[in-house]
Amino acid sequence: MRALVIDDSRAMRRIVGTILKDFGYEVREAGDGRQALDVLEEGFTPDLCCIDWNMPVMDGLQFVMAVRANPAHRQVTLMMVTTESETGQIVKALAAGAHEYLIKPFTADAMRDKLALLGLLPEEVSA
Amino acid sequence: MTLSHAQPITELLDVETVQSIADEVWPSLVGDGEAFVPVPVAPPAEVVSAWVTISGPWNGAVVLTCAPATAAALTENVLMTRPPTVVDDEDVADALGELANVLGGNIKSVLPGPSALGLPQIGTAPPTGRLDDVRRLTGQWRGQSLTISVQGVTVAPHTERNEVPQQ
Repeated sequence: MRALVIDDSRAMRRIVGTILKDFGYEVREAGDGRQALDVLEEGFTPDLCCIDWNMPVMDGLQFVMAVRANPAHRQVTLMMVTTESETGQIVKALAAGAHEYLIKPFTADAMRDKLALLGLLPEEVSA
Repeated sequence: MTLSHAQPITELLDVETVQSIADEVWPSLVGDGEAFVPVPVAPPAEVVSAWVTISGPWNGAVVLTCAPATAAALTENVLMTRPPTVVDDEDVADALGELANVLGGNIKSVLPGPSALGLPQIGTAPPTGRLDDVRRLTGQWRGQSLTISVQGVTVAPHTERNEVPQQ
């Protein structure tokens, strides 16, 4: 499994990346939506993108819309990982094409539950 | 610039809510078993602050303030670094900023909306507005002083972000 972690905070990229690596993921990072699109264009094909909302240059919602507008990336699962916890924001992200929503702060167990829901938890971890 | 006529934060947010948010943030970001303990200790002589602005019906900032040494120790925990790795100023700005960001995002969620959250900033805390528009939680982490201040401003804060505000 491959994941792209998109967050302007290196600390948060490290936290999310460490959890995903513990679950067996190969992880790449991007500091904003624009950088993340560049990673995808380079040919990295993640199973999962974990996306912060509030970022400079290109925010998470804009990234979701850009990915959804490109048929080449239709297989990737998009999960918002953000402090934006109001219902209206969650609805907006899901309407734009995000598959799941994880609110900061979160635990490794919460991440595991979301991945299990998405069918993206490796068998050796879920067993 | 727009003058703010919103209800003061003291009518919108109680200190118990701030503490409950800190109770969720500390174990998640700072580490298992870590806690923001709401028992004040002597404030440090020198401080550094990280904050995010909130723009909406209520305008202000969520500010996390501590001593530089405490900020470095928090950063080591957030980044899960161990000696001999030394955190630098950029690491501290990033980690303390993310703590303020997560605190601010969760505080925004309990305020009247729609509101927008600014990107994290670090340095000398922004000045407060009305004296009654401040909700402050003072406490400690590992015996070192920490303050979470939810403080209004007299003008709408400039939000450095490119996100479209909530509709």
